[in-house]
Amino acid sequence: MPNKLVTLETRTLTPGERKFSRFLLFFEDLIKVPLFRCQRCGECILSSTGFTCSQRCPKRLRNGPCGGTGDDGSCEVYPDRKCIWFLIHKRSKWLGRLPMLFDIKKIHNWNLERTSAWMNVFWKRIDPPILFLNRTQKQRKIHGNDIQR
Amino acid sequence: MAMTFKDKIESGRFLVCGELGPPQSCKGAVIRNKSEHFRQRIDAVNITDNQTAIVRLSSIASAKILMEEKIEPIIQMTCRDRNRIAIQSDLLGAAALGIRNVLCLTGDHQKFGNHPESRGVFDLDSIQLIATVAGMNEGRFLSGDEIKTKPEFCIGAAANPFADPFEMRLIRLYKKITAGAHFIQTQAVFDLDLFARWMDRVQELKLSEKTAVLAGVMPVKSVNALLHMQKEVPGVRISPEYISRMKNASDPKEEGIKIAVEIIQAIRSIKGIRGIHLMPVMWESVTPVIIRESGLNRL
Repeated sequence: MPNKLVTLETRTLTPGERKFSRFLLFFEDLIKVPLFRCQRCGECILSSTGFTCSQRCPKRLRNGPCGGTGDDGSCEVYPDRKCIWFLIHKRSKWLGRLPMLFDIKKIHNWNLERTSAWMNVFWKRIDPPILFLNRTQKQRKIHGNDIQR
Repeated sequence: MAMTFKDKIESGRFLVCGELGPPQSCKGAVIRNKSEHFRQRIDAVNITDNQTAIVRLSSIASAKILMEEKIEPIIQMTCRDRNRIAIQSDLLGAAALGIRNVLCLTGDHQKFGNHPESRGVFDLDSIQLIATVAGMNEGRFLSGDEIKTKPEFCIGAAANPFADPFEMRLIRLYKKITAGAHFIQTQAVFDLDLFARWMDRVQELKLSEKTAVLAGVMPVKSVNALLHMQKEVPGVRISPEYISRMKNASDPKEEGIKIAVEIIQAIRSIKGIRGIHLMPVMWESVTPVIIRESGLNRL
């Protein structure tokens, strides 16, 4: 049974795979770094976070913002930056992908750091990207922004 | 044997939690002295874990001292300082000492403390930590290995109803409850309208049935403390009425107690609230006063 909470290493990377990963990562970086400022965690969850890399958060939170988002959406640690989860919320809403944020994201497997996420998906080490909302996600409704006056 | 905090949650009584900040030294007597403030009608006491990233006496050690004084502790566990190995090990240690309640937090960023140059760990986040503790209760480590003697933790989580983006706060609360939180403690309430509206939404999502929501109440000593909260602490909303009242008060301490008592009375009438969490910052001695004045000791 696959572990729901952690991406466990099913198989360690062979030296050949590591070489291939480095080769693939070159092309992945060409796309993901300029577009999403990818941090190369190797366990990509971009598709479910409004195509905004959550790993840009100073605490590298994968499950939503900490309590420190300012009223203007600024980050508590670096006030000149926007809280990345503020952006994720905004973009997810705009794209109609807000219900995806209800799912608990797995604990990061640090062995996958700086490996190619594409390769990890292909070898089923990590969950594949989510293209569309599934049935349970479609039933989730949330409206909370009118709480504020 | 006395009732545990979990039994008290299940009994459906109105819960009252206190909060204790351990000292910045190894003087355990400080905790023993402070424990005197929690003799009266307190169901459990939170012990902060290096709050605002300032080094203090460990929360598990403080909890042990508090238990010797016959007070039930809730240890706070943050993800800032420990990776998954240390967290699971500390939890086993806490369980072995007889600690049964743990509040799972992500933790303040190390930048705000007295060691801003330190390395933040953040191996897990609060939601993953809740799921980890829930898994340990079922007898599994994160690796999937079996725990022969299972801990029995009552799992707590924090919620902030007042910070932007509001929808994300509800989503996070939903995630925390799905992950296995038994009780929720909220950020300090200083804006009752906003809090009541938030609570409506929580009930709409049918979350308050699955968990006990305790509203945070923070008595303040002076108007400066209130203004500091508003300016420096993100996600705290203070209605202007309280600020002007504190400013004009002849005895600010007395007024602070009065405001806290009023907030408690109002919170008690909000549907779905299961208790309060009193969190005076470095002013633990006010806890029994507020409990007496708000009539909670007669509940």
